[in-house]
Order: sequence, then structure tokens, then C-alpha cells
Amino acid sequence: MRVVIAEDLFLLRDGLVRLVEAYGHTVVAAVDNGPAVLSALLENRPDVSIVDVRLPPTFSDEGLKAALAARREVPGLPVLILSTHVEQLYARELLADDRGGIGYLLKDRVMDAAHFMDAVGRVAGGGTALDPAVIAKLLGGPARAADDPLGTLTERERSVLELMAEGLSNAAIAARLFLSEGAISKYTTTIFAKLGLAEDEDTNRRVRAVLAYLGAEADR
Amino acid sequence: MSPNSRRLGNGTALAGGPVADPGPKGTMMVMTTRGPLRWGADVGGGLYRSAVLAGLTGVTPVICAAVAYFGAGFAFTWTANMNAALAVRVLAAAGEILITIVWTSVAALLLLRRGSRPITRAARRLAKAWLGLRIEVRYAEPHPVTQMSTGFWWNGREYYKTEREARWHGRMQQGPADPQHRQDALWTAVAVLTVFPAAAAPLLALAAGIFLTLQAGLLAWGVALIVAGLASAPFGWRVFGPVAAAFLGQSARSKVEALQAVQADMTQTQAAELERIERSLHDGAQARIVALGMAMGAAEHLLDTDPEKARPIIAGARASAAEALTELRDLARGINPPVLSERGLVDAVRALALDAPVPVFVRSSLPSRPERPVEAAVYFAVAELLANVGKHAHATRAAVELGYADKTLAVTVTDDGQGGAAGPATGSGLTGIERRLAAFGGRVDIDSPAGGPTRITLGIPCVLS
Repeated sequence: MRVVIAEDLFLLRDGLVRLVEAYGHTVVAAVDNGPAVLSALLENRPDVSIVDVRLPPTFSDEGLKAALAARREVPGLPVLILSTHVEQLYARELLADDRGGIGYLLKDRVMDAAHFMDAVGRVAGGGTALDPAVIAKLLGGPARAADDPLGTLTERERSVLELMAEGLSNAAIAARLFLSEGAISKYTTTIFAKLGLAEDEDTNRRVRAVLAYLGAEADR
Repeated sequence: MSPNSRRLGNGTALAGGPVADPGPKGTMMVMTTRGPLRWGADVGGGLYRSAVLAGLTGVTPVICAAVAYFGAGFAFTWTANMNAALAVRVLAAAGEILITIVWTSVAALLLLRRGSRPITRAARRLAKAWLGLRIEVRYAEPHPVTQMSTGFWWNGREYYKTEREARWHGRMQQGPADPQHRQDALWTAVAVLTVFPAAAAPLLALAAGIFLTLQAGLLAWGVALIVAGLASAPFGWRVFGPVAAAFLGQSARSKVEALQAVQADMTQTQAAELERIERSLHDGAQARIVALGMAMGAAEHLLDTDPEKARPIIAGARASAAEALTELRDLARGINPPVLSERGLVDAVRALALDAPVPVFVRSSLPSRPERPVEAAVYFAVAELLANVGKHAHATRAAVELGYADKTLAVTVTDDGQGGAAGPATGSGLTGIERRLAAFGGRVDIDSPAGGPTRITLGIPCVLS
């Protein structure tokens, strides 16, 4: 894969380049400031890019803005956003264009190289990689009515739902939970039935359905 | 506001002078009818207001004049039939004039000391009703009266045998010591010299005119005076406006005192905050990194001898690093919320709303980003209020509205919960907000009747373009 990396801290940028190259991919550009991100994305059209939210010169959210701008130019351009904090607000903005190829992870996740590179691969393949912290906030979000179907989920069903919302496929969920793919598929059927959603094998559409369900009340 | 609401803060005082309130206006003055009807209303309203103001500001001079008149009359009876040398009579008359002056001065002082507070209070009500001037002042609280172990009662200054005595003397002594009290006396004195003659003149002209028309041969003079009185009625009382704006508010001294209190408060809050950050770093991330270093040392040592044993240590070290990161992130969020610095107040409030335990509707009409310190203060206040909504209000939904008008950033947080937020039990968080905003001259208005709904408005003076 051809990868673009945008990160202002030298140590982290260097580490990301090494990590990506160690997994056999090519880093076509590694930039360290906001204005360079957009041009690097548009010129190189990488298979996936890893972009820090906060970049010089203003240290606000230019990484996020550049990524969104690039995706407006090139719909579906795979971007994985990294940040020291995760916000539902940003997650909503990133997912708003309904195109997939989006990742939004805490920087901490790079410490778990295997999971991180798995997420990178998912995004490159047009999938979704949402940070568990975002999912946790969504699940703990606006108070739900007493008859909310979420309350009827078992603990195992809930963890399957969380992994589904992160963007994992049934096979990946099975590997995470040390279960068979068949068992996971049974769980997802139950979950969709309990939540009253139409079942969908496509992980991207599945993520959107689950997120829409979780965020429905807060969606304004 | 309902009787259950209360107003926090001395914010207006710090923000400067009186605030124009678009609220109640005199009914007669806003009539839009043209022609004689409107003139009639203006004249009638003017006469009414002149009468009220003359009555209010006239109390002091009329009583003083009465004391002077009757005092002089009484004093002169002492030597009325005296047959003495001219020099002696002149001396006696001088003495009598002097004693009359003393009596009048004592009366004036007593009136200013005891009467100026009710008079200024009434004047502030009139200023609000007629001119829309919202003037807020703060009187010093009377010192609480407590019984000492000796059985005597202490009122903050002296001991007394009975509680009543202690209270009475406390009230007596507290007045003059309060800078606001002196300001009230100043207003009363200034009003006697400005508002009183201006308000009394049209009434006097009218009365004199009516009197003259009843006298033979002076009809023309009488009518002229009546016309002059009526014509000046809508204008004379208006001198009240500038005088009220200049003298009815807080005294400079109590403004300084309020500022000093805010400053002391801020210094303390800052010190406490620094201490909290230091402690979090020391107990949290720092300790974890020390543990991390030790684990790495152990793992390094084990790599040569027993690599299998090193594996769980390294895994533990990684978990420890993740924990340290989480703690640092939470700490940073408490110091300076990242969304606030990345996106500004409105999006930061939106992010707060998304994380709130109940659905929160956010609407903003801010033209631009406020100054960073104001932003942070408002953000933390809204965060606290939304946390209260989740914790205490038992609300099902809430709304945050951000607006800007009259050089004031106004944030309204409403919820459909059980109300009663003004009660002392839940007051501590609100007091904290009030303090934080006081540093910017801001204020907190709470309207939270028992049974709800609750509506809390934050107002911070600032300049947005």
C-alpha cells in the first residue's frame, strides 16, 4: 500500500513511518504541517493516509479539516485520523459523507501495532475504524428510556455490538473474542433482531446502521 | 422572575455603571399617538413624575426647613421681651441663630444617615420603572450577633448585655461604615440640590399660576405661569436620569472592595488548581512512568536469563503506559479542553452536549469567537451546569443557547427537570460558577422554581465583532 503520514511530532512521525514500512507498505509522503497535508493527499492519492488532527501552524484542527477537504475532492479517499483525544463531534463529521474509508483513533492505539495496522488495512479497504472510546461514549450517551432495547442485550452481545460499531467484520470479531465466526453471526442476528434493525453483511453499512441507532436521539 | 429565583453575583458592579434594561417603561411615555392626546399624556405623566420625585427628594429639605423655621421661632422666644443694651441683644440673636443652625444640621445629618437608604431604594425602583436603568448595589451584611461564653452578646464591634441591644447598635454602627451607605447619602444630598428644584419647579409654577388667576387683575400672569408649568412638566423631571445614572449606583469604594474580593478569590482558586494539577501529575502519570521504567529494567535483565518471564512484564509495562496516557489526557482536558482550543466555544459546547447524559439541544448566534479566557470560563460553567442537569435535575432534555447582544455574551441553559436549583443544598456548584464569571464581570441568573423547569442565564460582558 502507498501511505501518506501527517504528524508534527518527529518521534511519532518517525515511529509511524517505521511501523508502516515494517508491515511492508510504502510511505510516499510524511509531512509535518497543515498546508502540506492537503497537497500531499491530492497529489499522491494514497491507498491510505494517517493524519494527526492537530498540526502547525495554528495547532487547531487543520489535519481534520484537510482530510475532510481532500475527501470532498476525492470522494472516499481513505483517511485514518489520529488524535490525543476523541470526540463524538468529530466522529460525526467524519462519518457524515457516508462513504467509508474512514478511521478515527486515539494516538494511544499505535502502541498496539497489530490492532493498529489492522485498522489501517480496514480503512484502506474502504471500511471503518472507530475508536472504542467513541463507541463507549455513544453507548453511554443520552439517557435511554427504560424500555430501550440496548438494556436487553447480554454482556457478550454488547461487546459484539461494540466491535461491530468499531467497524470489525464478523471474522475479525470472532478472532478478537476467541469465538467461531458462526457464533458471531448468531450473535449479530440476535442483536439486530433485538434492536429492530435490518441485518446487513456489509460491514460499512452495518457500522452506519449501528451508529445511527446509537446516535439517533442525539442526532441534530 | 419567580419568588423562587435568586440573583447571584455582584457582576454588574464590576461591569461598570447601570445597565439599560429593555424591560418595563412608563406606559405614558411610550404612547405613539400623535397630536394633543400625546401632549396631554406627556404633560400628565410629567406632572405625576415631578410630583413623585419632588415628594421623594423633598422629604429631607422640607423637614430641615421646618426644623429651621420652628427652631428659630422657638429660640427667639427666649429673648423676645428682653430690654438690654443693643450689643447684648445682637449677641443673643447671634447665639439663637447659631443654635438654630446646629439643630438644623443635626436634623439634616440624622435624615441623611437614617433616611437615605429607603429614599435611594425607592429612587432605584423609579429609575428602573421609568428609565429602564437597572442599578444593582450591594450593602454590607450586618455582622451576625452571637452570644459569648461570658453571656454577653457580640455584634462584631462591641459587647452588649442583651441580644436586642447588640442588634440595634450593630445596625446603627454598620450604616456609616458601609461605603454604599455613604454613597446613598451623597445621592440624597445631590438630589436635593438638582432633582428636587427641577421636579418642583413645574408644580410650583402651576400652583402659583392657579393662585394668580384667582386674584383680580393678574389673570394674564397666572395663565402665563400655568402654561409655563405645563410646558416644562414633561422635561423638568428628566434631570433625574443623569443624576440617577451618576450617583445611584455602587460607590467607587465598594466597587474596589468587590474587585479586591474577586482578585483574592482568583488567586486562591489558581493556587488550588495548580496544586491539583501537581498532585495529579505526581500521583498519576509520574508514578506510572517510574513503574514503567522499573518494569523495563526488570525485563531487560530477564531477557538474557528467562525471556519467557520477561514477556508478561513487557505487556504490563505497555498497559501501564496506556494508563499514564489516559490520565494525562483527562488532566489536559481539565486544564484546557482540546475541542475548545481547536474549534472554539460553540463546537466545544456541542461536544459537551453530545457527551451529556440527556439529549441537549444547542443553538448559537455568536458572531465570532470570544477572547480565550472568557471562552474557557463559559465552557467550564456550561460543563458544570450540564453536569448538574444530569446529576440533580432528573431532566429528560436540556437546551443551551448562546447569544450576543448589548456587548454581553449570554448563555442560557434550560432543562425540564424538577427545579429547585437555587436551594442551598445544590448551591455550591453554582457559587463556583458565579465566582469564575465574577472575574470577568459576569453574572448568573437562576430561575428554578420547585417542580421546574430550570433556566440559568450566564451573562458576560465582552466585545465580539
